[in-house]
Amino acid sequence: MQPEATISLHMSNVETIPGKSITSSLGLVTGSTVRAKHIGKDIFAGLKNIVGGELKAYTELLNESRNEALQRMMMQAHSMGANGIVNVRFATSNVAAGASELFCYGTAVIIE
Amino acid sequence: MATSAPLVIVLYIVVPIVTIFFFPVSSWALGRWYQNRLHGALLENEKLEGATLQDSNYLSTFSEMNGMSAQSSTLLHVSICVGPSIGQMFFMWVKGLFGGRLHSYDVVLDYGRREVLLRLRRQANDLGCTAIQNVRIETSVVSFAKNNKSRQSSVEFLAFATGILQ
Repeated sequence: MQPEATISLHMSNVETIPGKSITSSLGLVTGSTVRAKHIGKDIFAGLKNIVGGELKAYTELLNESRNEALQRMMMQAHSMGANGIVNVRFATSNVAAGASELFCYGTAVIIE
Repeated sequence: MATSAPLVIVLYIVVPIVTIFFFPVSSWALGRWYQNRLHGALLENEKLEGATLQDSNYLSTFSEMNGMSAQSSTLLHVSICVGPSIGQMFFMWVKGLFGGRLHSYDVVLDYGRREVLLRLRRQANDLGCTAIQNVRIETSVVSFAKNNKSRQSSVEFLAFATGILQ
């Protein structure tokens, strides 16, 4: 599921949005995505494991899935009428062999 | 078919034996060389870019700003996946029987954590941030291996922070 349009909100992982003032808080918003790896990338990463170091295929995969989770969180906040999210946290968990869940959550707020 | 006997012996007996016995050793040696090179390059980059990245002095884990003013802010997040090589894992398993320091993990994890912070600073610099507040580093094991037998696990470092724009 792809988001229709890219929404950009003010986000921060501190209690306020620096430089802005919060007028009201709307509650928790979350976004998550579960990703498994492409088999071609799997084989390539297996080859890369001969030398170790950075596994770029995994880095890219996790980055794009984390962006998707953030987008989902932003869509939820947007539908609540918020224009900012404070105290954003990320969590990663291994839900099954070959898949991992990327989860992010925060508090939707209205700022001015 | 005019295949000579020595060729058959080499192909079907010597090559597998050599591969089986020397693969961990060569993977260990290659991994050690490659990772030390990465680590060295990273240290060089830190030295070179540490001076030029303007926010280098303002990386803090505080959530409140100490006397700084801000126009706006942005959320920064960078992640990196690192892992030791297969040969290094094998020898670490052997070492794990006796316990003690696992040098290969030391190197690769130190590399990952430093690299992710450097990338965070680069990202902040690209966006024009003058300070980075509330830096958090999270570590998680990601194993995308489909079968449990060859558990090629890698470690993901995620750094996230709030970039302050002045």
